Amino acid sequence: MTARKSGSRLETEIERCRSEGQWDKIPELVRQLSAKLISNDDLGELLLGEAKLQLYLKENPIKQGASPRGPRPKLVEVRKHLTAALDRGNLKPDYMLEASMLMAKLSYVEGDYSEAISQYSKVNLDELVLVGVPVYRLSMIAEAYATKGLCLEKVPAASSSLSNLNVDKDQEVITCYEKSGDIALLYLQEVEKALSVGMQNRSPKPGPMAQEQELGYFLETGLQRAHVIHFKNGNLTRGVGRFREILRAVETRTTQNLRMTIARQLAEILLRGMCEQSYWNPLEDPPSQSPLDDPLLRQGEPYTKDYTLPRRPRLYSGENLFCPQENTEEALLLLLISESMANRDAVLSRIPEHNSDRITSLQSASVVYDLLTIALGRRGQYEMLSECLERAMKFAFEEFHLWYQLALSLMAAGKSARAVKVLKECIRLKPEDPTIPLLAVKLCIGALHWLEEGERFAKMVVDMGEKASEFRAKGYLASGLVYSLKATDASLRGLQEENQRKALGAFQRAQSLSPTDHLAAFYLALQLAVSRQIPEALGYVRQALQLQGDDVHSLHLLALLLSAQKHYHDALNIMEMALSEYPENFILLFTKVKLETLCRGPEEALLTCKHMLQIWKSCYNLSNPSDSGRGSSLLDRAIADRRTLNAMTLPDFSDPETGSVHATSMAASRVEQALSEVASSMHSSAPKHGPLHPWMTLAQIWLHAAEVYIGMSKPAEATACTQEAANLFPMSHNVLFMRGQVAELRGNVDEAKRWYEEALSINPTHVKTMQRLGLILHQLQRYSLAEKILRDAVQVNSTAHDVWNSLGEVLQAQGNATAATECFLTALELEASSPILPFTIIPRQL
Amino acid sequence: MLAMDQGVVEEWLSEFKTLPDSAVSSYAASLKDKASLIPAIYKVIRENYSDLLEPVCHQLFEFYRSGEPRLQRFVLQFLPELLWSLLLAPSAARDPHTSGCIEALLLGIYNLEIVDKDGQSKVLSFTVPSLSKPSVYHEPSTIGSLALTEGALANHGLSRVVYSGPHLQRENFTAQNRFEVLTFLLLCYNAALSYMTSCSLQSLCQLSSRVCICGYPRQQLRRYKGISTRLTVTSEFLVQLITGIHYALCNGELDLGTKALDDVLYRAQLELFPEALLVGNAIKSSQQSAALKSSASKEGARSIQVEITPTSSRISRNAVTSLSIRGHRWSDMEVSVDNDPATPGGQGSPIPEISVTMPNGDSLRPRDPRPLTQPESELLGSASEVSPSHDPSPRGQEVRRQKSVRRLVDEGSGPVSAGRAQY
Repeated sequence: MTARKSGSRLETEIERCRSEGQWDKIPELVRQLSAKLISNDDLGELLLGEAKLQLYLKENPIKQGASPRGPRPKLVEVRKHLTAALDRGNLKPDYMLEASMLMAKLSYVEGDYSEAISQYSKVNLDELVLVGVPVYRLSMIAEAYATKGLCLEKVPAASSSLSNLNVDKDQEVITCYEKSGDIALLYLQEVEKALSVGMQNRSPKPGPMAQEQELGYFLETGLQRAHVIHFKNGNLTRGVGRFREILRAVETRTTQNLRMTIARQLAEILLRGMCEQSYWNPLEDPPSQSPLDDPLLRQGEPYTKDYTLPRRPRLYSGENLFCPQENTEEALLLLLISESMANRDAVLSRIPEHNSDRITSLQSASVVYDLLTIALGRRGQYEMLSECLERAMKFAFEEFHLWYQLALSLMAAGKSARAVKVLKECIRLKPEDPTIPLLAVKLCIGALHWLEEGERFAKMVVDMGEKASEFRAKGYLASGLVYSLKATDASLRGLQEENQRKALGAFQRAQSLSPTDHLAAFYLALQLAVSRQIPEALGYVRQALQLQGDDVHSLHLLALLLSAQKHYHDALNIMEMALSEYPENFILLFTKVKLETLCRGPEEALLTCKHMLQIWKSCYNLSNPSDSGRGSSLLDRAIADRRTLNAMTLPDFSDPETGSVHATSMAASRVEQALSEVASSMHSSAPKHGPLHPWMTLAQIWLHAAEVYIGMSKPAEATACTQEAANLFPMSHNVLFMRGQVAELRGNVDEAKRWYEEALSINPTHVKTMQRLGLILHQLQRYSLAEKILRDAVQVNSTAHDVWNSLGEVLQAQGNATAATECFLTALELEASSPILPFTIIPRQL
Repeated sequence: MLAMDQGVVEEWLSEFKTLPDSAVSSYAASLKDKASLIPAIYKVIRENYSDLLEPVCHQLFEFYRSGEPRLQRFVLQFLPELLWSLLLAPSAARDPHTSGCIEALLLGIYNLEIVDKDGQSKVLSFTVPSLSKPSVYHEPSTIGSLALTEGALANHGLSRVVYSGPHLQRENFTAQNRFEVLTFLLLCYNAALSYMTSCSLQSLCQLSSRVCICGYPRQQLRRYKGISTRLTVTSEFLVQLITGIHYALCNGELDLGTKALDDVLYRAQLELFPEALLVGNAIKSSQQSAALKSSASKEGARSIQVEITPTSSRISRNAVTSLSIRGHRWSDMEVSVDNDPATPGGQGSPIPEISVTMPNGDSLRPRDPRPLTQPESELLGSASEVSPSHDPSPRGQEVRRQKSVRRLVDEGSGPVSAGRAQY
C-alpha cells in the first residue's frame, strides 16, 4: 500500500519535472521508478530518451534560421532509448504517442525531415486529446506542430509546378504553426496555474523557486513563425489578426517579453501601414478585401483560418472590456502596455558591466516612446505625451533625444517654465544646435516673460556666429525682440533708450543677414515705429509686405503708421483690406473701431462692435466644452490653452489700451484673474470654465463699446457695457478705469477718483488711469500729487503725448512755466507722430 | 497636353453624367482599370491654362458629393496636387479663374466633410485608453503599480477627447482660414492613406518638400526651380503632412519620403514649431532604429518586417532595474513579512496587505536581487558548466546579442560577481 502510494507520488513528481522542464532530475526519478515495477522499464526508456534529447537541445540550442546539424553521439543514445521504449509495444497508448512524437522531433534535430513527417503522420496530431491531459503533454503537442511546420517548410513540395499545391502547402504550414502557437499559449497558462497552486499547497520545503520558464526553439517558432510568414507573404490582415490572437490571450510570465515585442510591432503596423478607413477592430472580422494586403495575394487564395481546437488559451474577458475602435486608439493601448513593461526593465545601474544591458533597455524603451509620440502627436494630445515622456526620464541620463522630445512635448503642452528648464539640459548635451536656445527664447519672450533668461539664450545663438548658418539671423531677431520688450518694460529713461538702441541694431543685423525674411523687416519696422521714426518704419513695413503680402501684423503696423501720419482714411482702408483676409482677428477689429470712431463717427464703430460680438459668438459658442484640452495640472488649465491662443493672435494678458505685454500689466492680469475667480465664485452666474482668453476677448469687446458710448456722451449705455465686462472680470483694472470714465462723464469727480485709485491698486502702471487721475487731482488743486502721478506715468510710457500735456498743465498751474512749456512742446512733438493706438499692441513673438 | 490625354479626360467627363444612380457603385469599382485616366487628370491639374480644369474640378466635386467611398477616395488621391496648385496661386502668375475652381472644389469637400449625415457639425473624437481599465489586451492588476500622479488620477477612466472640430462652414479662402481648411483636408486624406496610389503619395512628398523649402536656402540644395517666395505654414499643417509622409516612407516611397521628412523638419526648426519637431524627430528616430535592424533588406514595397525574436528578457537579471529596485525598497520595509517567499500569507502576518500587492509582488520575486543564496548559486553553477567553450566576454555586445536565450541568461551571472564586488 505504501509502495503504491509512493509510486503515484513518484509519477506526480515526474509529471511535474516534465512540465517544468527540469530534465536533470529525470534520471534519478527513473531509477526510483524502475525499482518499483518491471513494466515501468519502457516508460523509463521513454523518459530517459526525452530527458537526454531536451538536455542536448539545451546545450546545443538550435538558432533561428539555422538548420540542425545531423546526428551526434548523444543523439544516438537518445535514439536507443526511444527505440527501446517503442519496440516492446508495452507502453500505454498515450506514452506510445509521446514516444512517436519524440522520435519525430529527434529526426528533425538530426536533419531528417521526411522521416519526421512520416513519424507525425503515424501520430495524427489533430486527434490528440487536449482536454484533461497532463500539462507537459500540451507542450509536447505544441512542439510537435511546430516541428511539423518546420519540416514541411524544409521538404520541397511534391510537384512545384502547380501553384495551387504551393498555396495548399503554405496553408498547411501556417495552420501547423498557428495551432502550435495556440497550444503553446495554453500550455504556458496551465504551467503558471499549476505553479501557483503548487506554491500554495507545497510544504515549505526549499523546492525549486519559480524559475522563469523558457520556451526553447520549437515553442518560440510555433508562437511566432505563423505571423512572420503572413507578413512575408504580404497578408497583412491575417498577420494583424494573428498578433491580436496572441495578445488577447491572458499573459503569463514567460510570454511577457513576447507580448511586449508583439504589442510594439502591432502598434508599428497600425501607425505605419493602416489608416482610419482601412481599420477593423480586434473583435470584428477582417474585411474580405483590404488595401493592406499585397494585391498579388488577392488573386491567389489568401490564407484563411479554418481550424478549431477543442481547447483554446484563455482570453481576457469580463464586462466592460475596452476594445479600441480606431487605429490610433489601438496603437496607443498597445504602446501603453509596452511602455509599462519597458519601463519596468529600465536598467538603472551605471556600472560598465551593465552597459550593454542598459543600452538594450534604453533602445527598446525609446522605440516605444517614439511611437507614442507619433500616435499622440497625430491626435494633438501633447499634454498626455509630456506625461509619458516624463516617465522616460529614468532612461534619459545623457540621452539627448529623450531630453529634447520631453522639452518639445512640454512646450507643445504649454508647460513653458518646465520646458525652459529641460531645454537648458538639452543645450548642455548638444551645445552646437542653434534651434534649442531659439526655442528657449521663444518661450521666454512669450507667456513666461523671462527677459533676462531670454537675453542669455539669444546671445548663445548670436555667439555661434557663422556656425549657426540659417539660424544666425533668427538669433539676432530673437535678441532684438528681447531688447525691444525690455525697453517697453524699463522704467528708467536711459535704460529704455539703451534697450531700444540695442533692439534696433539687432533687427538691422537680422534684416541684413536674411533680406528675404519678412519677419526681420517687419520687426525692424515695428522698432522704428516705436521710436517714432515713422517714414523709415514705413519703408521697412512695405518691404515686409512685399515679401509676405498677407501678413496680418505687417498690415496692422502699416495701418497704425498711416494713422500716425494722420492719414486716417488710408489707415481704415488698409484695416478693411486686412480684415477681408483675417475677418475673425480681434486686434484688427479693435483698431478698426478706433479708426471708425474718428473717420465715420461712433455709429459705425458701434456696428463694428456688434459685429465683433457676433464673430465671438460664432467662434466660441461652437467650440465643444470637452475641447478644452486635458490639462494635467489645474494650474496649467487656468493659464489658458496655448494652442487656440496661437491661432487667435490675441495679445495675451494685455489691456485693450496699451496692449503690450508689459511686466506689471501681466502681473496685474494674473491678480485680476485670481480676484475675478474669487468674486465670481461668490455669485455663480458667471460662465467661466475652459480657457480664459475667449472671455477676456469678450470683456474687451464690451469695454470698447463702452468707450464708444462715452465718446458719444451716453453714460447709461456705457455703464451697461461696462457692467457686461464686469460680470466676466469684476476686478479688471480696465473695467474699473472705464467705470471711472463713466463717473467723470456724469460729473461725479469723487466717484471717478475712487474708481481710478482702485484701478491703480490692481495695476499701478496703467498709464491711462494715471493720466485721468492726474487730471482729476489737478481739478481738485492737489498739484504736487498730480505732478507726482503724471511724472510716474511719463516714466512708464514716455511717448504718451496726452500725459505730457496734462503734466504741462499741472506744472503751469503750479507756476513752473518753463517746465510746462517743455512738456507742452514734447506733447506737441509726440502728438505729431502718435498712432491711433500704441504700436506696442502688435504682439512681439518668435 | 496631348490630344490623347484630352480625349481620355473628355470621355471620363461625359460618361459619368449619363450614369444612372444604380450604376454608380459598379462604375466606382471600374475606375481603377482606366490606366491612362489618372495621369491625364494629374496633367490637367498641373497645367496652368487648361480649359479642362474647370469641368474636371466640377466632376471631382460631383464624385465626392455622391458619398460613394470609392469615388471619394478617387478624388482624395489628387488632394496633394490640388493643394499645391492652391498654394501656388497667389504667388505665381496664375489665372485667378483657374485657381478659383480648385478653391471651390477644396472648399466643397471641406464643407461636406465637416458635417455629418444630418447636417450637424461633425466632431472627431477618440478614446484615450487607460491601463487602469481592463481591455481586450490587458488586465490592470498585472500591469503593476502605476505611478500615482495628478495626471494619472485625472485619466483614471477612459476619456473621450476631441481632436478636430467642430468647424465652421467656409465660403471662401482667407489668409486666416486657409490653413485651418487645408489641415482638415489633409486629415481626411490621411484617414484614407491605405487606399492612396504611389503616385499620390509621391505627390504628397513633393508638396511637403516644396511648401517647406521654397524661398529658403535649402531650395538651391534641392534644385527646385518653381517659385521662390516663402509660403506660410502652421505647425498643425506640418504635423498632418508628416503623418502622410510617414505612411509614404513605410510603404514604398523611402527616398522621396526621407527627403520630404528632412525638409519638413528643416522648416519646423526655422519656424520653431515644437509640435512638428516632436513628431518628425520621433519618426526619424524610429526609422533609424528600424534601418539598423534590417539594413540589408530593402524589399521595396512595404517595409513592415517582422522576425522571430527571443522571448526571454534580453536584460540580465542581475542588473538593477526599476523593477528590481522597487522590489528592493519594498522588501527592506517589510522584511518580517516577506522573509519567506515560499509561504506567502502562510503565517499570521498582515495578510490583507500581501494579497493586495500579490500580483506585482509575485512578478517581482524572480528578479528580486535579495534572495541571493539559492537560485543564483544554481545559476552560477550551470553557467560554469555550459560556457567554458565560449568564454563569454561581458562587453562583447554584438556577439552577445546573437546568442540564444539560455546563454544570455547564464552569461548575465558573469558580470554579477564583478558587479557585486564593487558594491
